[in-house]
Amino acid sequence: MSAGGEEEDVRISIYRFNPETDAKPRMQDYDVMPEAGDKKLLDALMRLKTVDDSLSFRRSCREGVCGSDAMNINGRNGLACLTSLAGLKEPVVLRPLPGFPVIRDLIVDMTQFFAHYHAIKPYLINDELAPERERLQTPEERDRLNGLYECILCACCSAFCPSYWWNPDKFIGPAGLLQAYRFISDSRDTATAERLAYLDDVYRLYRCRTIMNCTEVCPKSLSPSHAIERIRLALVRESS
Amino acid sequence: MRLFLGQRAWMLQRATAVVLLIFLAAAAAMLLAGPPLSYERWHALATSPHGAVLIVVLFAALALHGWIGIRDIVLDYLHSPAVRLPLLGLIALVLIAIVIRVALTMAAHFMTAG
Amino acid sequence: MRAPPGSAPKFLNLSQIRFPIGAIASIGHRISGVLLLVTLPLLALALDRSLRSEAEFEALRELVSAPGRALLLVVVVWAASHHVLAGLRHLLMDVGIGSRLDQARTSAWAAIVAAGVIALAAAVRWLS
Repeated sequence: MSAGGEEEDVRISIYRFNPETDAKPRMQDYDVMPEAGDKKLLDALMRLKTVDDSLSFRRSCREGVCGSDAMNINGRNGLACLTSLAGLKEPVVLRPLPGFPVIRDLIVDMTQFFAHYHAIKPYLINDELAPERERLQTPEERDRLNGLYECILCACCSAFCPSYWWNPDKFIGPAGLLQAYRFISDSRDTATAERLAYLDDVYRLYRCRTIMNCTEVCPKSLSPSHAIERIRLALVRESS
Repeated sequence: MRLFLGQRAWMLQRATAVVLLIFLAAAAAMLLAGPPLSYERWHALATSPHGAVLIVVLFAALALHGWIGIRDIVLDYLHSPAVRLPLLGLIALVLIAIVIRVALTMAAHFMTAG
Repeated sequence: MRAPPGSAPKFLNLSQIRFPIGAIASIGHRISGVLLLVTLPLLALALDRSLRSEAEFEALRELVSAPGRALLLVVVVWAASHHVLAGLRHLLMDVGIGSRLDQARTSAWAAIVAAGVIALAAAVRWLS
């Protein structure tokens, strides 16, 4: 942006792949003129979409809640809707989430990612007789879920984790493990032992080498690496 | 039983790391405190009953720690069972051979010294 | 030309990914670990030789300090320093010490720089 407040073109280089016409992906450069009120990268992408409607990307809420517009922005994963245009080095290079199969342009196949999420049983398990009203928690018990329940499953973390790149079929990945710890921590859940036993596996949990790329890129500032640290310590307690 | 351990391997890697750190600190302290290591001093140190046992323990810890580390690297990057299993088998054999070799060396010196 | 079905491309060009400092410390930990594992058989042989006789002990010292070997020795010193420092960092983070992101970034830098300085000191001492 120039000193006079006059808008300038933003150069954006985007990974393009159309499975119906392309044998392999290519990069395409665009110049986009942001209009007043276009503050985020997603605004620029929406602008581009009006010029080239073949450009494909996911987006929905445009405010970091739905987790749809995760992508690799200048070499780091993030949400387009939470990334300010102002701070980006040009050309802004956009690629799909690393290691995920590309369906088209910036849209990746999240099937495996969600399969891991389902595998950790992301729901409360409690075989005890249900009370007449809801199962109560003390404020302290509720506080233990802070930093865990906020995950929006955007996959920024898992798609930035080298261990997940090498074993996406076997390693649950940071997102799934954060979710696993969310239910392990829940005072209303009675399946902690089973959950821990499921995770005690050389692939599911122990591919993590505490690189912390997950925590580096989480757009909600959560710490999957901390959740993994707590799971491992819980397993140590369990085994001794 | 599963071929590759999860929690127990992770724990063993940490436990051997702690053992090796203590060794390293003790060795560094000894070398820095005393005069430059002469053959006489080294030989006396290494072939004493405590020294000989500690050296074997040191190599066993190194081999075990290295095994878990290299196992993790192979599990990360090499996915074909036809490559992975023979390679891991070979590495395990070499590591076991090294520890046996060191144990024999120390045993031989221990006998002659005693 | 159309892509064959079931062969979706993946973006995973590591040179186009910006790695945080923790990832650099981590891959260094891995590389140094492999280097140290390769030296393990040599260490076992050296142990055997060093205990045989005074002449063998001195010969070993000569062998290690020969001009061509010194560079290798510097590499081993780097590997050992980085592996120990990055390993100590991991041991502490495993029990929750310094595992917050800002602390982990600082300790990753510290391990990388300290191992580099130690290797440099070894190089100055043996290579000059």
